[in-house]
Amino acid sequence: MKTETMEPKTKGKETNPSKVVSEAEWQVARKDLLTREKELTRLRDEVSKHRRELPWVKIEKEYVFAGPNGKETLADLFEGRSQLIVYHFMFGPGWEEGCKSCSYLADHFDGANWHLPHRDVTFVAISRAPLSELEAYKKRMGWRFKWLSSHGNDFNFDYHVSATEEEKAKGKMFYNYRTDELIGDEMPGLSVFYKDENGDVFHTYSTYARGLDSLVGAYNFLDLVPKGRDEDHLDFTMDWVRRHDEY
Amino acid sequence: MKTPKVATREEWLHARKELLEAEKELTRRSDEVARRRQELPWVRIDKDYRFETDDGNASLKDLFRGRSQLLVYHFMFGTDYTAGCPSCSAIADGFNGFAIHLANHDVMLWAVSRAPLAKLEAYKRRMGWTFPWASSVGGDFNYDFSASFTKEQQREGRIEYNYEREEPADYRAIEGRQTGQWRESSESSDEGPVAELAARCGTDAATYIRERPGMSAFALKDGVVYHTYSTYARGLDALWGMYQWLDRAPKGRNETGVWWRRHDEYDQAAR
Repeated sequence: MKTETMEPKTKGKETNPSKVVSEAEWQVARKDLLTREKELTRLRDEVSKHRRELPWVKIEKEYVFAGPNGKETLADLFEGRSQLIVYHFMFGPGWEEGCKSCSYLADHFDGANWHLPHRDVTFVAISRAPLSELEAYKKRMGWRFKWLSSHGNDFNFDYHVSATEEEKAKGKMFYNYRTDELIGDEMPGLSVFYKDENGDVFHTYSTYARGLDSLVGAYNFLDLVPKGRDEDHLDFTMDWVRRHDEY
Repeated sequence: MKTPKVATREEWLHARKELLEAEKELTRRSDEVARRRQELPWVRIDKDYRFETDDGNASLKDLFRGRSQLLVYHFMFGTDYTAGCPSCSAIADGFNGFAIHLANHDVMLWAVSRAPLAKLEAYKRRMGWTFPWASSVGGDFNYDFSASFTKEQQREGRIEYNYEREEPADYRAIEGRQTGQWRESSESSDEGPVAELAARCGTDAATYIRERPGMSAFALKDGVVYHTYSTYARGLDALWGMYQWLDRAPKGRNETGVWWRRHDEYDQAAR
């Protein structure tokens, strides 16, 4: 269906200008904002540099995943490249469908993933539900990215995106580098790994919660329009989001 | 890439928490800039811009399609190009996937280019995209929003892009510069990223660079269209989806010249 012929559905806040001005006055305000935007870009570059200076942790455990090519170890997932980005997609065993917010994020994967392999990056999504459930949902959503199941292994628990039995019993979970009230059994995140020439695999980085924010292109676009993300009146951010076939 | 030190999980966690503070500060600063952006004043648009769309001739107001906000991606596809700009194509690969979410959150996203509609539609089909794409051919739209410049402006050094006047006929060497630095072009240069991208669009560097990338935002209120925002050059950085992922990889953007291709032009063996 053409997006331009879809009926508009959301009614958020009213669109109102702070002021209506002449082109010349607008230019002054815009240039002032541009200075701040440039500072932000420089800060983002700095944080990215800082991120690349993180130490690495060698992975000694063997994780085996079920995927479209059968059983694959974490080292196999690199597919000949040296960098691996894993999106921890919230889809627990027995769920009827994948998490709505993760599905919104996943609508961003395929576009970026045309290009990532050409910068030495392999991208995959991993969830705890059995492979058949993931594959059925992937087909429904029309996605191309590789999606693997960590069903039965420790991967999701070790990278703090699934609550352990102990965490569930306590009602507290270690997530986003702190222990807090348990929100759900599955949580979103992104982890990055490096494989060296000897075949050793290292964990370099993981991010969670709002650390995923800048990967949501739609948010970066909404940040440019007058109403912004327009989520203040909602029960939770992304409350307006639907799976793309449910609008 | 310098190989970082290999640490224990505890050491890593310590370093990671330190970085987390820096990341949180960046998120807060980013929220703050977004808030200031929403406070920008608006400029009323009185000119009657016309576009060619696959539903026929349309006004700027028509492009809103019942929403109150409009985002226009100024896609570099000049009348003389034989194909759309590869960099804009990479950006479009990203928004093609999530435009549907914007359309259901009161934002209509369009790409607008100066090439005739038939060229845009053929290219859109080739790339498998579904977002709406309008042609502004023959009108002032692209020029008024600093996304296209005339030969005269180029020759006389009257190009004002990204809110600053470019130096006239800048013949500095462009090799080795960041590929994102669009301004570093020249009519005489037949090497470097701009010339390379121009060749990929079937045109010369001077023609290629008369089109520029950008994003403009508009609001519709009580039947009147207002211009609220435009961004250019590195202001598009966060909109270029693949960079946000590369910024999390150990090698980062890892750029040596124009490495990206249209998604159907990569060596298939590498995928």
